[in-house]
Amino acid sequence: MSAGFRSALFYQDPKAALAWLEEAFGFELVMLLEDADGNVAHSQMEFGDSYVMIGQEWSADHKSPKSVGGKNTQTVHVQIDSDVDAHFARAKAAGAEIMAEPETQFYGDRTYRCRDPEGHIWTVSQTVASVSREEAEAASGLKITGWR
Amino acid sequence: MGDRARLPTIGPLLWYQDAMGAIAWLERAFGFEAGMVVEDGQGGVIHSELWLLGGYVMVVGPPVGDGAVSPATFGGRSTQSVHVQLQSGLDELCARARAAGAKIEREPADQPYGDRVFTCRDVEDHPWSFGQTVEKLSVAQMEQATGHKIKV
Repeated sequence: MSAGFRSALFYQDPKAALAWLEEAFGFELVMLLEDADGNVAHSQMEFGDSYVMIGQEWSADHKSPKSVGGKNTQTVHVQIDSDVDAHFARAKAAGAEIMAEPETQFYGDRTYRCRDPEGHIWTVSQTVASVSREEAEAASGLKITGWR
Repeated sequence: MGDRARLPTIGPLLWYQDAMGAIAWLERAFGFEAGMVVEDGQGGVIHSELWLLGGYVMVVGPPVGDGAVSPATFGGRSTQSVHVQLQSGLDELCARARAAGAKIEREPADQPYGDRVFTCRDVEDHPWSFGQTVEKLSVAQMEQATGHKIKV
């Protein structure tokens, strides 16, 4: 049983996405359902304690960013516990479109942001410093309720 | 709850026009609990963590830059959805969500692969699916039931 929720992402070419996500992010394909024509009916890729589901566009309302001008209604955040810079280098080498290079944020995470080949946006973070809520509020000027 | 060291590896981030409204709605409809909300002082939310059953989502908005958009201003279209796997109480959760105004798209029904599932749209039309395993099937049984070839 995975710890988190499962993001289900819509692609024009889910098989290409499966291959790319393995190469770029190190996701592992653990389940693939194909119909008689070899189309992806359902798939699950595992990473850490969680997994994502990679599927086809399946209605006029469920579209790849590639089909809707690069827009994203949701994105996937990946929290790792080691070497976000190595993760970044691997994704970049695989052709990820880099939106933000790894940078340490005011709340103590080192984060980068990229798009995959069909325009889905991914963020990847590693916690590198312990920051209190008071410190984060002072550094950002934001009102913060609750803290981790 | 809300412990950064125990963040699951994967967390979905959803864009909303009215993020504070969405947080209140998700608490009421699905039973989420807000562990953290970071407000911009102008009615917007730049980060939040909402927890349910060991999983979390981030609710942010209004959308800014980077091609971000809410389905509410995008003709009801979406580029991802969130799936929540329950251990129990699927029908009760569906009733709670419906009472809160969720648009139920697929009513709770047993699927050939052994899960009971319902799907719905939330207050800004993001799609959600909820599943609960009611019969544990082997891969061979699932292949026979679905007609799909399954690789594991």
